[in-house]
Amino acid sequence: MATTTITKTEPLVGKRIRRREDPRLITGAATYVDDIKLPGMYHAAILRSPHGAARIAALDISRAAAHPGVVAVFTGKDITGVGPVPCGASLPGLRVPVHTILAQDRVYFVGHPVAVVVASDRYIARDGVDLIDVEWDVLPAVSDPEKAIAGDAPAVHPEWPDNIAFHHHQENGNVDDAFAQAEVVVKQRITSQRLIPTAMETRGVVADFQTGDKALTLYSSTQVPHLLRTLIALMLGLPENKTRVVAPEMGGGFGSKLNVYAEEALMGFVAMKIGKPVKWIESRRENYLTTIHGRGHVDYFEIAAKRDGTILGMKLKLIQDIGAYHQLLTPAIPTLSVLMMPGLYKFQNIRAHVVGAFTNCVPTDAYRGAGRPEATHGIERMVDMLAAEIGMDPVEIRLKNFVANEQFPFSTATGLVYDSGNYAAPLMKALDLVDYQGLRAQQKKAREEGRLMGIGISTYGEICAFGPSPATPAGGWESATVKIDPTGKVTVMTGACPHGQGEETTFAQITADELGIPLDDIHVIRGDTAIVQYGIGTFGSRGTAVGGAALYFALQEVKAKLKRYGAMLLESDDVSYQGGQCVCNKTGRTVSLAEMSGASYRAMKLPPNTSPGMQVTNFWEPPNFTFPFGAHIAVTEIDRETGAVQVKRYFAVDDIGNIINPLIVDGQLHGGVAQGLGQALYEQAVYDENAQLVTGELMDYAVPKATMVPWIESDHTVTPSPVNPLGVKGVGEAGTIGCSPAMVNSVVDALRPLGVKHVDMPMTSEKIWRILNSAQA
Amino acid sequence: MKISGAYTLPVNQDRAYACLQDPVLLAQSMPGCDQLVAVGEGEYKMKMKMALAAFSGAFDGKVRITDPDPPASFRLIVEGSGKVGFMKGEGLLRLAPAEAGCEVSFEGEVHVGGTIAAVGQRLIDSTAKMMIKRFFDKLAALAQGDG
Repeated sequence: MATTTITKTEPLVGKRIRRREDPRLITGAATYVDDIKLPGMYHAAILRSPHGAARIAALDISRAAAHPGVVAVFTGKDITGVGPVPCGASLPGLRVPVHTILAQDRVYFVGHPVAVVVASDRYIARDGVDLIDVEWDVLPAVSDPEKAIAGDAPAVHPEWPDNIAFHHHQENGNVDDAFAQAEVVVKQRITSQRLIPTAMETRGVVADFQTGDKALTLYSSTQVPHLLRTLIALMLGLPENKTRVVAPEMGGGFGSKLNVYAEEALMGFVAMKIGKPVKWIESRRENYLTTIHGRGHVDYFEIAAKRDGTILGMKLKLIQDIGAYHQLLTPAIPTLSVLMMPGLYKFQNIRAHVVGAFTNCVPTDAYRGAGRPEATHGIERMVDMLAAEIGMDPVEIRLKNFVANEQFPFSTATGLVYDSGNYAAPLMKALDLVDYQGLRAQQKKAREEGRLMGIGISTYGEICAFGPSPATPAGGWESATVKIDPTGKVTVMTGACPHGQGEETTFAQITADELGIPLDDIHVIRGDTAIVQYGIGTFGSRGTAVGGAALYFALQEVKAKLKRYGAMLLESDDVSYQGGQCVCNKTGRTVSLAEMSGASYRAMKLPPNTSPGMQVTNFWEPPNFTFPFGAHIAVTEIDRETGAVQVKRYFAVDDIGNIINPLIVDGQLHGGVAQGLGQALYEQAVYDENAQLVTGELMDYAVPKATMVPWIESDHTVTPSPVNPLGVKGVGEAGTIGCSPAMVNSVVDALRPLGVKHVDMPMTSEKIWRILNSAQA
Repeated sequence: MKISGAYTLPVNQDRAYACLQDPVLLAQSMPGCDQLVAVGEGEYKMKMKMALAAFSGAFDGKVRITDPDPPASFRLIVEGSGKVGFMKGEGLLRLAPAEAGCEVSFEGEVHVGGTIAAVGQRLIDSTAKMMIKRFFDKLAALAQGDG
């Protein structure tokens, strides 16, 4: 046994370490679903409805089935044994239409899958789709959620002519009193438009049914492989232990792959029917038509306050565009908007009523922020409008109404308990960084020169680390396994299935610090249900805050076990573990991690009450959500000629608790801001009055390009979360949530001299040009 | 989408009305029209090729003429569908004497669906206008030639 001097290694947590996953991603060495090529694999293409609503009067597959190279065609008649696409959320009185994986006698949205053609290659399968003859009996459709529930719209589902999917009501405090006492009430209709998540990699599935074992392996671009396994097994009637889901490398999810889709079960069904592997890769146009959309809110806000700026209460009537069906979490998303509607403010009187409206459109569901961007947009717009109404500075009104530092843990009007906060800190830091007073002076000068300059502030609050299990539909815990090989190499298996968030690096940093070993000795595995213990997945900014905490506790257990082997090998009761070895505190003798691990597998001798092997699995249940916060400031100038909004400067000061890797955190925030900016300025999924999606490809749907995203100046304050041992809060969605209200507040501030009080997103140059021209006229 | 416009044909009103009901002349004038076969009173089957944005495709369709009020007006209903989607147009055509012949004014709506809606909607307005202009240009030439 070696006797070396123990040197304290520098901790890796908190360091800007480059992502270990990036080399394979940027050299084309990663394996995505479409890279999987199995021997004898067939290819599928799907016939989809070109109509928003129609009856299938006749469906003739004979020409397709006879086409050379086509091996099978399946329609709605063939899939009757397959369970419906599941809705995992429940609300009292929720209407759940039966969502079969192929349409039966009627289609409900453009893109609705009607039949699947399986062929020897992708092109033949696609040709086969064109050879299916369908006689459509076209029905009237509705695409606008407000029109859908107005009483005279076509029924999306004939059994529910009012098109109402659900009502959800939440009320706290005494709203009527608050409004009766109010000296000022501001009302505004605010929309949060339908957005298309646009993951760079579209969805894709490879299904492989091993006929001998009667076991299905499903490769799918999914954020939730274990949930998918459970639900696909149920849909297909397979034993779950004979069902394996692999989520290979993923080119983005943003919530759009936090789901169970018809095509995933359909490919499983096809593979089981033909006894051969089958692949389906979603085209971009299919992606836009059939992968869930996000947002889709029409919100009617009312805020009541005193003239001194004290907010007394708030009312919200929220109309959520559901689409034609519920996907996995569809009805739950607007309930999150209600939970976060008080933002960072302490008022205790709220009333919210949500109406879910069926439309002949693709379902909405979770998209980066999922319900919270809408809430933050609402409260941060309303606070700004209130400030303008009473002639108060937007900074002052916020400082006046923030939950105070000594109030944490703080019970909100909506029943949440904010874990920790120092809400003024990021705002003051951001103001300092931008030189707020200087900016206001510049703005005054600009206005004198006739230029339209705006300064927009948003102070966002965010609910992360989903979540305590009672508050989530399928469990909100997370799992981690730490496995040390006989040679001392460490494997971490996380149930969180990170897919681009950098946890292969950050989890290795946590592990390296806890075990005192080099980063290169650690391998992080995710995404394969045959290898990784059950897990929930990555969404709702939970990967590190829940999955990382599970890992932390697993590491404590494995360290304790290592220490027992260390004590045995060192023949001492007084040992401590540090720097990748166990040291006898009396003699200074040490034993290395590899020696302890090796001894545990060789098992010549076992420490008392200790099993052989060096593997620990931990399932960790969080006691609460976490609540990050921050302040974003957007400085804009509007081109009077074109209406184009130029972002002159963008500041983000975020408080996301402790930071594991500042480089990755910056990346998450920058990406988040880019998506928030996309919503604020450019993006909108547009359906026409016949429920045809007219923004059906990247030519028509304006995802911001790199040149359209401003330089983002970012900084942090750190208020650790008491909810988990890492003190982390979550960062995946913060940038998006903070951005859109900062942008709209800025543009409205720029247009204020023209009497503009509100602008709905997206603030395209055409929209602003029209405002400028009507205002000047 | 609503469309409207007017075009002057260099023939008298009766001749203009007759031309607009003549399947042979119509088939020759409609851009991309391969075939126009009468299948009933004022009802024709049509095959046509259409290009929009990056798409081109064959359409099978129907043309119907209703509410005929010769030589003053009639209603034209065009429906077509193909691999790239479907379209449906309906419009009222009014004929009135003009200095240079006969003014044909039209007012109607066009709906498209499927891929052409998702991909080419923003070009439909200008494409429809272009096709209508080509149609009348050709019809004007043919109407004069035959007259």
